[in-house]
Amino acid sequence: MTEKFYYDNKIVRNFAIATIVWGIIGMTVGLLIAMQLFKPALNMGNQYTTFGRIRPLHTNAVIFAFVGNAIFMGVYYSLQRLLKARMFSDILSKIHFWGWQLIIVSAVITLPLGLTTSHEYAELEWPIDIAITIIWVVFGVNMFGTIIKRREKHMYVAIWFYIATFVTIAVLHIVNSFELPVSAFKSYYLYAGVQDALVQWWYGHNAVAFFLTTPYLGMMYYFLPKMAQRPVYSYKLSILHFWSLIFIYIWAGPHHLLYTSLPGWAQSLGVAFSVMLIAPSWGGMINGLLTLRGAWDKVREDPTLKFMVVGITAYGMATFEGPMLALKQINAIAHYTDWIVAHVHVGALGWNGFLTFGILYWLIPRIYKTELYSKKLASFHFWIGTLGIIFYAVPLYFAGFTQGLMWKEFTEEGVLKYPNFLETVIQIIPMYMLRALGGAMYLCGVIVMTYNIIKTARAGKLLANEPAEAQALAKEYVPQGSDKKLHRFLERKPMIFMVLSLIVILIGGMIEMMPTFTIKSNIPTIASVKPYSPLELQGRDVYIREGCVNCHSQMIRPFRSETERYGEYSKAGEFVYDHPFLWGSKRTGPDLQRVGGKYSDSWHYNHLLDPQTMSPGSIMPPYEWLITQKLDTTTTIAKINAMRTLGVPYEPGYEHQANKDLDKQARDIAADLNKNNVKVKSDKEIIAIIAYLQRLGMDIKAK
Amino acid sequence: MFKQFLEQVDDKQVYLISSLGIFVLFFIIVGIVLYMMKKDEVKYMSELPLNEEDL
Repeated sequence: MTEKFYYDNKIVRNFAIATIVWGIIGMTVGLLIAMQLFKPALNMGNQYTTFGRIRPLHTNAVIFAFVGNAIFMGVYYSLQRLLKARMFSDILSKIHFWGWQLIIVSAVITLPLGLTTSHEYAELEWPIDIAITIIWVVFGVNMFGTIIKRREKHMYVAIWFYIATFVTIAVLHIVNSFELPVSAFKSYYLYAGVQDALVQWWYGHNAVAFFLTTPYLGMMYYFLPKMAQRPVYSYKLSILHFWSLIFIYIWAGPHHLLYTSLPGWAQSLGVAFSVMLIAPSWGGMINGLLTLRGAWDKVREDPTLKFMVVGITAYGMATFEGPMLALKQINAIAHYTDWIVAHVHVGALGWNGFLTFGILYWLIPRIYKTELYSKKLASFHFWIGTLGIIFYAVPLYFAGFTQGLMWKEFTEEGVLKYPNFLETVIQIIPMYMLRALGGAMYLCGVIVMTYNIIKTARAGKLLANEPAEAQALAKEYVPQGSDKKLHRFLERKPMIFMVLSLIVILIGGMIEMMPTFTIKSNIPTIASVKPYSPLELQGRDVYIREGCVNCHSQMIRPFRSETERYGEYSKAGEFVYDHPFLWGSKRTGPDLQRVGGKYSDSWHYNHLLDPQTMSPGSIMPPYEWLITQKLDTTTTIAKINAMRTLGVPYEPGYEHQANKDLDKQARDIAADLNKNNVKVKSDKEIIAIIAYLQRLGMDIKAK
Repeated sequence: MFKQFLEQVDDKQVYLISSLGIFVLFFIIVGIVLYMMKKDEVKYMSELPLNEEDL
């Protein structure tokens, strides 16, 4: 029997609007922070707009708001049509939409306030983590509900990618959000040091895999055949692509931690799987591009296909570059430099951005039952966007090579050729300017697209409920004999499928993480490493709040070029009390792991007050508010208690002593500053952060 | 390379060997499944996005 039903286009439209709005906001913040790197005055002299605080805002906005909403737009559109069914529940769709937007708004508020966990791309604090979990489950129920009530017995490969996305992101998010709350908006990760780093980069890498890649591959497998009006090049290849991609990706996280204190075998495992990852990634890219076989003439005419072709090509480039960067020899130069930033943006601007734009240009006219307002403007967007990517990436590659090589260069006498880190920064400032130009061009294209899409929508009318009809699935199976069982099996299939995907992704994660968590010899302890004093602990939290980790690493790799510059290389045992780890992933400024004792207290005071006075030409923003703001010591007891719960050996009852010790240490630092003609009260935040900075690396220095 | 890190791990080879085993097994299974897929089914599946009516 043929059934009549309606596709929900309104929810698709809403997610499309959210994609565009958050895209513009996220990219504008990106442009601002890009300009802060050559014009520190753009930090605007207040704490809420400094680089360290709004860089996470940029990354979260483009990943979870722009790309996130685009994923939901693509999934809600394609899922309904592939399954010949309306979304399971309109109410769940609405909760999903508004819940997700609220989460983003809470990120926009909390991140500039400095409420952050400091885990990259997982900065949001614990109450928001819980909200994300709930909304993600709502999405999952809505998706699986639709799959179960479907009228198409087969599940197209795009849906497989959606299911894998749902299940893996759920696992990643939960495991990387094990935090012990200290207050309403402050928590400490359960893991410390090396283990925390391993969990974070298992998460970080696979957020790229399962948020920025698999859902987009699903969308590619749906929208590209529709645009080209021909089936995917090889369906079998898409299946191989799917299983091998989700299986291999999950192992590759440790390539973010090469040459760090992570056990060597885990690093090697990460490298091996990263190299293997080329195969499924390129399988997918080739499958996408070859889908256009015989349709290349359309690419000339059709701006949506242009976006898709460049997007898929960017995917190919980024997934070739990724494994190359995972090779230890290349990583030695590239890590901590702008090369990584360039690499990420080829993926983000090219793959995610361009696929999103292509889909928007294709989808909006269809749900508004009209034609695209202007193909010319779309073509303009394509060209300025492509040029934007080139202007963004090429200067940063250049900056990355330059800085990476400068850090490593020795004179004939065997000393560092550029001992002053700042020299290597000033060298690449022109590249930062060009990069910002590229970003501005890209953003300009997005604004043109917005105009084009508004005009398109105005010319048509949203078909909120699109009529469709299909045979009911149940009638295909006359309930008799073995058919009944088969039908039941098929009904259950999405769940079995989810469990299968779950098993596949858990294997790699578990094999990598379990030895580091269970075998003590992987993290040798060092007797002289002691817990932070209460003042240092508070200072560390100020360091986290200001997002210092966005520009300063605390991980010295075992190279002569690094030990000469920063001191003894980092040992796993040094981080056993670090909840969270603060190794960082980018050195816009120098490494700080051994900065303790290197400069006087008054140097730090003056440097934080105005970095340019101590390091002329520095691009670090000033932090005057640390001098005026009083340190909140009411949290000390809760923090000491939380740390003890996590295994940091503070004596029982020490929490009551802690604030006395804190005051004493603060008075000593204030007195030392006073001696050097710096008048500051001992209860200010700057005292705590100086205490923390002066402690860094001191534990293993020979006394 | 493999020899080097196997030496480092001492009693943890079991993790590496089993992961390699699972990995190889996994590809063999996917390969068999793909080989056994019916041509009609593959054709039907690959045309799913094109089945519906669009503008």
